[in-house]
Amino acid sequence: MKTAQAGTLESMDCIVTVTETEKGRGISISMEGASIVRFGEAMLKATKDTLKSLGVRDISVSIQDNGAGDLVLKARVEAAVRRLAEVKAA
Amino acid sequence: MRLRRTKLYLPGNNPNMLLRGHLFNPDGVILDLEDAVAMSEKDAARILVRDVLKKSDFGDCEVTVRINGMDTDLWKVDIETVVPCGIDGIRIPKVEDPKDIVLMDEALSQIESKAKIPVGRTLIFCLLETALGVWRAFDIARASKRVAAICPGGEDLRADLKTTRSENSEELIGPRRMIVLAAHAAGVDALDTVYADITDDAGLRRETEWVKQLGFQGKSVIHPNQISIIHDVFTPTAREVEQAQKIVEAAAEAAARGLGAVQVDGKMVDKPVVKRAEYTLQRAGMKAGGEKR
Repeated sequence: MKTAQAGTLESMDCIVTVTETEKGRGISISMEGASIVRFGEAMLKATKDTLKSLGVRDISVSIQDNGAGDLVLKARVEAAVRRLAEVKAA
Repeated sequence: MRLRRTKLYLPGNNPNMLLRGHLFNPDGVILDLEDAVAMSEKDAARILVRDVLKKSDFGDCEVTVRINGMDTDLWKVDIETVVPCGIDGIRIPKVEDPKDIVLMDEALSQIESKAKIPVGRTLIFCLLETALGVWRAFDIARASKRVAAICPGGEDLRADLKTTRSENSEELIGPRRMIVLAAHAAGVDALDTVYADITDDAGLRRETEWVKQLGFQGKSVIHPNQISIIHDVFTPTAREVEQAQKIVEAAAEAAARGLGAVQVDGKMVDKPVVKRAEYTLQRAGMKAGGEKR
């Protein structure tokens, strides 16, 4: 399975790792970090919205968070997905 | 007149700085896609900077993006990504050829037109980081109406001059003087390079006072702690403002009465002094005018 990553563990950032999955397996998202308890739902929604806007239906996403807000999380998800597309195309 | 006393560099792949930099109240921010971003992170930084530009409120800050150089294959995608966000300007590194500014002007117009942004809105700030760039400063500054300022490089320029950093940056005296001359001849701002030692406040103040005396309008900044010192140097004192007001009011009164000569506190004041007083009030935000952009 091919994988790509974007982001850092600096303050207000996160590392998003995306892994390709078989067609039809859907989207699976795992998260870790201190903010998950309070903002987990919002982060889940932000990630799903970004994947939807990018037309991604089957993917596994792992998020290591260090205080990234929606804006940063979405940017990192997009960067990781675009990198995965490049890896797959290579 | 737009105050450009400080322009704070914000690394393009650093969310913390990108989101908080403007809170330190610089006159402008520079979201940096060039040297502050590793080659392997250019794509992620571009996406992050785009989203920060779209969603953040920078208040009164002049928002510019330092794109990658026109000698790379990154600059086009950089401007295609950030210009539609409605930024105030782009900062182009290592400018050497006025033709590149003409090319950039055309590229910006196309993007603005497509994004339904007023054509000409995006200003150009030129970094002159080589001997050739400094030599051609005037032609570069005049190459497009979009050019708002020209700025000397620091370490890149020293390397190109085959010299090194000295305590008082004597190696940059000539380039700085040339850039001030070219900028004011072309009607654009002269903005100085960064002061690299972020722990040396006295050195920063000394250098800022010196470049102000040369004719620069501001400096680039690499640490928020440098902002207040530079603002302090470039902001007219209450006494300077008071005196300038006296001179401008006396000049206006004399003009209204059809008199050529102006007297302030019993002394004759000539036109250059009036012009300087007007500039003092512009810097204090009390009078419109100044350089063209």
